[in-house]
Amino acid sequence: MPLFGKSQKGPAEVVKALKEAVNSLEKGEKKAEKAQEDVSKNLVLIKNMLYGTSESEPQTDIIVAQLAQELYNSNLLLLLIQNLNRIDFEGKKDVAQVFNNILRRQIGTRSPTVEYICTKPEILFTLMTGYEHQDIALNCGTMLRECARYEALAKIMLHSEDFYNFFRYVEVSTFDIASDAFSTFKELLTRHKIVCAEFLEANYDKVFSYYQRLLNSENYVTRRQSLKLLGELLLDRHNFSVMTRYISNPENLKLMMNMLKERSRNIQFEAFHVFKVFVANPNKPKPILDILLRNQEKLVEFLMKFHTDRAEDEQFNDEKAYLIRQIKELKPLPGH
Amino acid sequence: MVNYNININDYKIVTLLSQCFQDKASVHLAKYLPSGAMVALKRFNMDKIKQESYLVDVEIILTKQLHHPHILPYFTSFVHGPDVYVISPLMAYGSCRDLLNQHFNDGLPEQAIVIILRDLLDALNYVHKRGIIHRAIRASHILVSSLGKACLSGFRYSCPIIVNGRWQKAIHSFPSSTQANLNWLSPELLEQNLIGYNEKSDIYSVGMVICELANGFEPFAGMCKTLMLTEKVRGNIPQLLDCTTISREDNEEYGDHDTNFGLSPKVVNRRFSEDLHKVTDICLKQEPVYRPTAEQLLTDPIFKTIKRSLPLPDLLKPALPLSDRVAFNTDEVEDLETASNFSNLEIFSCEWDF
Repeated sequence: MPLFGKSQKGPAEVVKALKEAVNSLEKGEKKAEKAQEDVSKNLVLIKNMLYGTSESEPQTDIIVAQLAQELYNSNLLLLLIQNLNRIDFEGKKDVAQVFNNILRRQIGTRSPTVEYICTKPEILFTLMTGYEHQDIALNCGTMLRECARYEALAKIMLHSEDFYNFFRYVEVSTFDIASDAFSTFKELLTRHKIVCAEFLEANYDKVFSYYQRLLNSENYVTRRQSLKLLGELLLDRHNFSVMTRYISNPENLKLMMNMLKERSRNIQFEAFHVFKVFVANPNKPKPILDILLRNQEKLVEFLMKFHTDRAEDEQFNDEKAYLIRQIKELKPLPGH
Repeated sequence: MVNYNININDYKIVTLLSQCFQDKASVHLAKYLPSGAMVALKRFNMDKIKQESYLVDVEIILTKQLHHPHILPYFTSFVHGPDVYVISPLMAYGSCRDLLNQHFNDGLPEQAIVIILRDLLDALNYVHKRGIIHRAIRASHILVSSLGKACLSGFRYSCPIIVNGRWQKAIHSFPSSTQANLNWLSPELLEQNLIGYNEKSDIYSVGMVICELANGFEPFAGMCKTLMLTEKVRGNIPQLLDCTTISREDNEEYGDHDTNFGLSPKVVNRRFSEDLHKVTDICLKQEPVYRPTAEQLLTDPIFKTIKRSLPLPDLLKPALPLSDRVAFNTDEVEDLETASNFSNLEIFSCEWDF
């Protein structure tokens, strides 16, 4: 029995206390410090209910269910995210941990929090714009990637106008934020294969015109990551029609041929994996074939000398040999 | 925290301090021109880093989310050319590994070990409470500032304990590209069995670090990795080398067998306190449950001695902090632009015909 019988606060009380504290933090009242303290304290209480501590187990399902219900009813999740920049450093991470745990909640096959967020997509949009702010970008990223695991939520994000902001976020000058944004961006474009393929097909022109900018970015890391992701997207069989469209455009081929000659060996290597798709295509459109034919000898010579130090990479060497053979055997279309 | 610009031209490299990440990254002493402050500039050569490039992301993103007086902070990070740069405060004594290599081949004095250990545990307590296992605790990842504050770094091998929105009872993932850290890792982590491991694995590594700091090298150093693993799993508990753990006769005999291991009389005659032996022993317990947490370790009586102890910089003499060793404004100053241009001289002459 505890000596000082401190009654434990129930979920309803904690949520209420936290909401009040966030509200007064938002208003920027005089007692900001006190509000800050209350926010942190109550966040820890909620976190401990969900995760347990070294001394205590997480709360029972009933308590957690109550807590979740209170969080939905009070609209506290959105309020916390909107005020994330006002919460202290450790508190921001607690918000993310609470959010991610509640998000994972399952009742049978249902995910009640996911259903809840579907009715409040503002939560997602607020998280996405979090990348605009240095001090909350990484916390928002943690929550966004967790959301992106759910098809319904990924779909909302992909189809929102805000999605195109990612093309800017992945290139911001602060490396950690750009890199975090890129992993979210990649998750959104690759996690749910069918949703992603549908999205890319439906928005092909817009997405790839934005994507082009990433491939031409002045930022080495952006260029390398986006090129690598492009290769993965094109080689995914779900994206077959996107791939067909991409490799029919001679401008794309020119870009890849130029990237094969970039100074950076990693970029050359990633470009190779996109370039090979153009060559392997059994139905090359005439403009593509023309470019390859015009550079037939140069390409063969170039590929013979290309990354010869990768002797141990069998797959790469097989592919390279295949490409050289294919290019050697290229013939103009009959009747031309 | 001071804001640091993300423009490479605001930094003037003074000298190379060390190589790290298997020589794919280098740490330089640099001057931040707007304020004149000296900082450490870490440069990851991304073109050399292939599959492991995500480790750079992991390290930087995670470190940015940690705030603790004994964890090396990153002021900012940015890309320039094919390199990723990270700016952090200058740790003027370098890493504990540097200290051992340069001035303390037989190990640090006990009082210095105790101070460093306290700082390390303080950092580790925070890291564990935040749900992270470091997985690469070793002297080279502990840096010491000019004021004698020890800071933990090297977070690229770490892993989260919170996975899938739950605090996991056991972790099973094996850190990638961890070859260099194997000697410090706990038996349960190395075994890679179904039981898995938890944050107590780091506590084992703390025990290894105490040995490393006290002996001058980590236990099992130079041993083949398979034998090291067998020894750990068999329950070989490393010890601090002093007059209580090695007898003179043993040492002479030992010295005959293995010329690398002939221990100096200084080592054979010295004596570490009973408390330090105990702390080492308890950290290196075979069974993780018998190892204390970082928080529990911090209450150990051994740390009470710090109050009466000399400050760390005094204990580290004759080692001097960097600012006293390096003459600034020497010819060593290299222009970063030229340096990076120089490495790009590989030219492709072939032109495509579009």
